[in-house]
Amino acid sequence: MAKIVGLPKLSPTMEEGTLARWAVSEGDRVEVDDLVAEIETDKATMEWRAFDPGVILKILVPEGEILAPDAPVAIFGEEGEDISALLAEVAKGDAGSNGDGAEAAGAAATSGAPGAEAPEAVPAAPREETPAPSRPSGGRVLASPLVRRLGREHDIDLSQVPGSGPGGRIIKRDIDEWLAGPRPTPGAPARGERRPPRVEKLTSMRRTIARRLTESKQTVPHFYLTIDTDAGPLMAARKQINAHLADDGEKVSVNDLILKACAVALRRVPEANASFAGDAIHYHQVVDVSVAVAVPDGLVTPVVRDADLKGVREISREVRDLATRARDKKLMPEEMTDGTFSLSNLGMYGIEDFAAVINPPEGMILAVGTVREEPVVKDGQIVPGQRMRATLSCDHRVVDGALGARWLAAFKDVLEQPVLMLV
Amino acid sequence: MTSVSDELLPLYRQMQLIRRVEEEAAKAYVQGKIGGFLHLYIGQEAIAVGTEAAIRPSDKVITTYRDHGFALARGVSAASVMAELFGKDSGCARGLGGSMHMFGRDEGFYGGHAIVGGHVAVGAGIAFRAKYLEEDDVTLCFFGEGATNIGGFHEGLSLAGLWKLPVVFVCENNLYSMGTPLVRSMPAEELTSKAPGYNMVGDRFEGHEVLTVRDRIRAAVDRAREGGGPSLVEILTYRFRGHSMSDPGKYRTTEEVEDYKKNRDPVRLARLKLADEGLDEDALKKVDDEVEAEVQAAVEHADEAEPATVEAMWEYVLAPSPGGASDA
Amino acid sequence: MREIRYRDALREAMAEEMRRDRHVFLLGEEVGHYQGAYKVTQGLLDEFGERRVIDTPIAEAGFSGIAVGAAMAGLRPIVEFMTWNFSLVAFDQIVNNAAKMYQMSAGQFPIPVVFRGPNASARQVGAQHSHAVDPFYTNVPGLQVVYPSTPRDAKGLLKSAIRDDNPVVFLEGETLYNVKGEVPDEDADELVPFGEARVAREGSDVTVVVWGRPLATVEKVADAMAEDGVSVEIIDPRTLRPLDHETIVRSVKKTNRCVVVHEHWPYGGPGAEIVDRIQREAFDWLDAPVLRATNLDVPMPYALHLENEVIVTEERVRAAIRKVCYLD
Repeated sequence: MAKIVGLPKLSPTMEEGTLARWAVSEGDRVEVDDLVAEIETDKATMEWRAFDPGVILKILVPEGEILAPDAPVAIFGEEGEDISALLAEVAKGDAGSNGDGAEAAGAAATSGAPGAEAPEAVPAAPREETPAPSRPSGGRVLASPLVRRLGREHDIDLSQVPGSGPGGRIIKRDIDEWLAGPRPTPGAPARGERRPPRVEKLTSMRRTIARRLTESKQTVPHFYLTIDTDAGPLMAARKQINAHLADDGEKVSVNDLILKACAVALRRVPEANASFAGDAIHYHQVVDVSVAVAVPDGLVTPVVRDADLKGVREISREVRDLATRARDKKLMPEEMTDGTFSLSNLGMYGIEDFAAVINPPEGMILAVGTVREEPVVKDGQIVPGQRMRATLSCDHRVVDGALGARWLAAFKDVLEQPVLMLV
Repeated sequence: MTSVSDELLPLYRQMQLIRRVEEEAAKAYVQGKIGGFLHLYIGQEAIAVGTEAAIRPSDKVITTYRDHGFALARGVSAASVMAELFGKDSGCARGLGGSMHMFGRDEGFYGGHAIVGGHVAVGAGIAFRAKYLEEDDVTLCFFGEGATNIGGFHEGLSLAGLWKLPVVFVCENNLYSMGTPLVRSMPAEELTSKAPGYNMVGDRFEGHEVLTVRDRIRAAVDRAREGGGPSLVEILTYRFRGHSMSDPGKYRTTEEVEDYKKNRDPVRLARLKLADEGLDEDALKKVDDEVEAEVQAAVEHADEAEPATVEAMWEYVLAPSPGGASDA
Repeated sequence: MREIRYRDALREAMAEEMRRDRHVFLLGEEVGHYQGAYKVTQGLLDEFGERRVIDTPIAEAGFSGIAVGAAMAGLRPIVEFMTWNFSLVAFDQIVNNAAKMYQMSAGQFPIPVVFRGPNASARQVGAQHSHAVDPFYTNVPGLQVVYPSTPRDAKGLLKSAIRDDNPVVFLEGETLYNVKGEVPDEDADELVPFGEARVAREGSDVTVVVWGRPLATVEKVADAMAEDGVSVEIIDPRTLRPLDHETIVRSVKKTNRCVVVHEHWPYGGPGAEIVDRIQREAFDWLDAPVLRATNLDVPMPYALHLENEVIVTEERVRAAIRKVCYLD
């Protein structure tokens, strides 16, 4: 039996997803584990792979559509099945697959005449059953010839225009809307010209950021503790470690060491490794550190699990891998969930100090600034020093001022005596 | 009263002209000046020339792809025929028709047609005009015996018989349908046995003597002209060459070909007869020389003529339209 | 303006042209005494007599050949095929002789003949009697292919066809014969020229190119879609060869979307030709791929419900229009 397939829920927190790219076309046969589509969730671009073999009888939503999980996106079945009833169901809007959309993805059956709804007469030639072709994603802008001409004439960068046609094709309607709507005018503005803002639709990621951080700031009572540390020993340790790793062409970053220091501090002050859970507090038995990673249109927070148990070198490798895959949108949702603490570092931008927004349901986030070279007074002498400031944001429901201060002291202690990371 | 030689000499001249044109064509073909198919008329000249002697200029002739002899017999110039073979603009179809599609509207030559059988009905249609407009022109429609097994032949004869059209259907039976001898291609040995079925008179004879051809065909032509309807005439003949230039003719024995060349060559027979009638060798030689000069001039012309044009190729796809009433 | 049936419009065209030119005559099966298999020729025998309204035996190759020969000889025949299905046994006459004679003879023999009759499927007459022959004949240079969809065009185009000096393949719709429409009086002598498309309906959202019988199908769909705010422009090319691609391209440049609807099979043919012209000449104006709604790619089945599915349906037309308009 042909079956309507809903948008699979590919991350536990996914409340909506963008159908970023169809990897199949109507009429394509897919086998188990063939790529069906890429779904942009709040976390990443996820691959949706078929669970059962079948034929894509109808694609119901164009690329770029933002949908709730389980919203009908395609009809799967066997070649030739009559899907008019299912289409009617979809049209009525009461369609929805039962249960997990991903599971339904392969539902297949038999019977019927091919292409009953196809406007073109179907040539008698036997249809080739090909594995799902991989269409080029990104790069090429799909646009009708008319749109391309209009784009040339109006000097429009078509990559900026959302396409509402099949496969995200930009069609005349989209250009009309684009031309009618507010948009940046190329070239320098005339003096005094009032120019409206350029309006860009939220991506799924930006929506998630907006929703979650607003929620955080509105519902989590933040307070902030700042501490200044001597980064000299840390920098020395790093130098020493990297000299050792030079032969392997590896390097650890300041942040890797800071991450490790956080992990050790969390182990030393376990009460601070906690989350607010409505009518309870969860004290975590593991130390899973989320790392804020900037990606082109937002940020994500992949998690380094059991950071307290891992060596700096291992942490370093893991962070690098997570960051790379974050920028490529290749992270799995589970790699971005269930951290117990977050670390954010803007030191590389020269930021001395900042306060970060807590990543719920975590109880704390540490914001780290740059390492400053400055004179310090040491044993009554003014000597060159390396200082680094860190600000801890705490969820007051879980972490009180004293506890936060205690944790921060432990962090400073480890940071200034890196050898403690070994303990 | 004209003597035999007075009658025969011009016919001899025509046959000799055809013979020499065909021989020169064969030569030009192997030199690569003529392409495609080239079907020679050598050995069958008495038919084109003998039948022509039995009709009026206003009568019409249509035939198959073996058409050079008929074009010449009807009065299309040797230069024009040769130029057509050479693919030249001065050819009788401006180089668009070629060996198989020669035409001469002014000469009443309705062309060479290469899908045999279909042209039999067309021949009946040409004759239809005379009946429709109550004119007394006759159409001669030629074909080989190989064309008598195809549907178009039968439908053409059937309708001509039904409507009593002024047409004479002439089968040039050269005994071989391409490479297949008669016995393997025709259900009945004599084509004329079919004539009664189409309500027409049949006549069958050997066509190596040009005057015999003229006299026997005249009866059929007169009958058609006088409203007596069509006839089916079968003339036994022989082609000395292969079906086309690419045919080695392996299906015939050398003895058979040599026998025909020696004893039943229409050009030779006419020449012998003229000698018998007292025409001296000089007189014959004079005719031969004239023909030779004409043929050589034709080859020279064809060599030097302008090639067929792209303009003509496009020009004749469609006639300028809309047309008015016909000229007839 | 008076209203007459498509059938009567055709008869008037023939009668007027036969009165005008004595060279025009009609031949075909049952055109005379039977008064026409579909009564298109009703009454013509009474007015013009047996000389000009000629019943033929069942011999399409034969009487088509007669017509070609008569046309070579200056007459202007109208050949009625009882249906175009039967033209396939006369394909040689139409394609090899009618279409090529003029060019092959370098303009010596124009062929002013009209082949006409009902085209495509009727109702449950099975695979051999349901051919839409448009693709067969439009492919041939030297032929003109006409397919009127209204009584007025039927008359004006047939009169033009009869006056044309070239062969015309004149396709009629059997199920159109009873359709009534406005046609100017006889003395208007209205000729509809070849190669001029008709804008059957003006619209702004999508161009539908359709000719012959399916025009009515498209009009119904266009009516229904107008209520949904989709404005369909309908272009009827009227003559498929020559094709007025300029009007089509102009329309597509206006609407940016096009669907071609036809009752011939989808593989190739004028439908595909039109799509090709559009992609060549209006590429930068296209907002969607040009789609076709066609008969299905199968021999026509007998069972009514199957036939109804095979003949280009309103549903397929609507689906194609919606698709190019991105409404789905």
